[in-house]
Amino acid sequence: MDILFQSVLQGLLMGATYGIIALSMGMVFSVSGVVNFAHGDLITLSMFVAFTLYTVLGLDPYGSVVITVPVLLLLGGALYWFLIKPLAGRPVTVIQLTLGLMLIIQNVLLMVYGGEFHRVPSALENQFLFLGEGVVLRVPQLVAFGVAIVMSAALFVVLGFTDFGRCVRAVHQNPRAAALVGINVAKIQLAAFSIGMALLAVTAALLLPGTPLHPSDGLRYTLVGLLPFVLGGMSNFLGILASGLLIGIAESIGAVYISGTTGMALPYMMFAVILVFRPQGLFKGRS
Amino acid sequence: MLEVTELRAGYGTADVLKGVTLEVRRGEFVALLGANNAGKSTLINCLSGTLTARGGRIVFDGVDLTDYPSHRIVELGIHQVPEGRQLFAQMTVLENLLLGGVGRNAKLKKKQKLEFVFDLFPRLAERRKQVAGTLSGGEQQMVAIGRALVGDPRLLMLDEPSHGLSPLYVQIIFKAMDDLHREGLTILLVEQNLKLATAHASRCYIIERGEIALSGVGSDLVDDPRVRRAYLGL
Repeated sequence: MDILFQSVLQGLLMGATYGIIALSMGMVFSVSGVVNFAHGDLITLSMFVAFTLYTVLGLDPYGSVVITVPVLLLLGGALYWFLIKPLAGRPVTVIQLTLGLMLIIQNVLLMVYGGEFHRVPSALENQFLFLGEGVVLRVPQLVAFGVAIVMSAALFVVLGFTDFGRCVRAVHQNPRAAALVGINVAKIQLAAFSIGMALLAVTAALLLPGTPLHPSDGLRYTLVGLLPFVLGGMSNFLGILASGLLIGIAESIGAVYISGTTGMALPYMMFAVILVFRPQGLFKGRS
Repeated sequence: MLEVTELRAGYGTADVLKGVTLEVRRGEFVALLGANNAGKSTLINCLSGTLTARGGRIVFDGVDLTDYPSHRIVELGIHQVPEGRQLFAQMTVLENLLLGGVGRNAKLKKKQKLEFVFDLFPRLAERRKQVAGTLSGGEQQMVAIGRALVGDPRLLMLDEPSHGLSPLYVQIIFKAMDDLHREGLTILLVEQNLKLATAHASRCYIIERGEIALSGVGSDLVDDPRVRRAYLGL
């Protein structure tokens, strides 16, 4: 029983972070229609920036967000403006572009940092929280969960109740009408894209403590983001977050109860089964 | 106020507009009439910047906006109520109206303009929390007009606002346009319905196959045989 409780709880904590990756995908997708396959690699990139900051300045990964967030914000902006925007209206080419970007980031990281695993230690890394008998949680996971929930709530408020949020939804629902009411559509897309990238920098910092770092990690992060993004209905932000939690729990239960690689595949199997019965995702598409 | 000179525009290899020249003076209610495919929507889309002109000039209050993007045209005070209403269907009435006021100039006056719209169309005040896509066609048209008005337009352009509406709503919409005109708003109306447009507009242009075929005071045009010809393409 304790093991079940422990794995569900741990999955829930992990899942919130996956939810943020997926929300960031949702943010990018909803304004520009782009599914970014380099998402996870941008997380790895941000992690390596944090790694560099640690080796050079001795910065804690949590502290390095002060630098990684602006870096990814600018990088995301440039990526959108110079690579994705010129390809507007050619969705297949954009997918090829993001796939190519994925390979470029991976190999540049491999070239610069080499193929061995790295670590970025954090002050919170070896802190644990004991909940009753046998249930132990790592403090970095609790932090990740807390920050993920706060960021999702903030995103929800911004999108739901501010002029900027209304503009983002307007561009998503009807770009032509958005232009006609005077919204600078390209500017909103740029902003939403950049914010999506900044979220990835935060995610990278949340994942770093205790996680070994390798240039090829990106695809895994892309996948754990892609699953809830699709399950959640691609533009329903609450649905995406809930699906993130679900994927986290499936992953954790799979790892504990099913041995070996089959266990690790549980979230993907669950994903496939759900899509067979509900191809539109678990939650109805609403923005 | 608005001067269009020798405007050419089109899609693909075909020119839809083959040199259109027209003018809207401050405080006027001008109608642009024509059959299907005559180029009415093409013209209004050029004026809104959603279609780029291939030649000619569009000048508004001395500003040449021929190559302006849409959001800058809105900043100048030219607002379009598009054909088919083009609401943000999954948002509430209030959210749709608020989006009309996100332009740089409109932000300050938004509250006051919102009240103005609710006075003009009390029905929208009742339905402000309702999702726009679930409204009737006539109510949606009110939202589309209200959304443009919240932006504090100096020139209001409407693309076939009567299309698909019941006679009762057509009456409400045209009465609203008359009221707005009387209060000093400049209006450019694109219409297919000749009788309706000539009854309300002070001046009309008839567009035929991408060119202005005729212009004049509404009541004179109704009985003009050339109008009939332009419409029927004889």
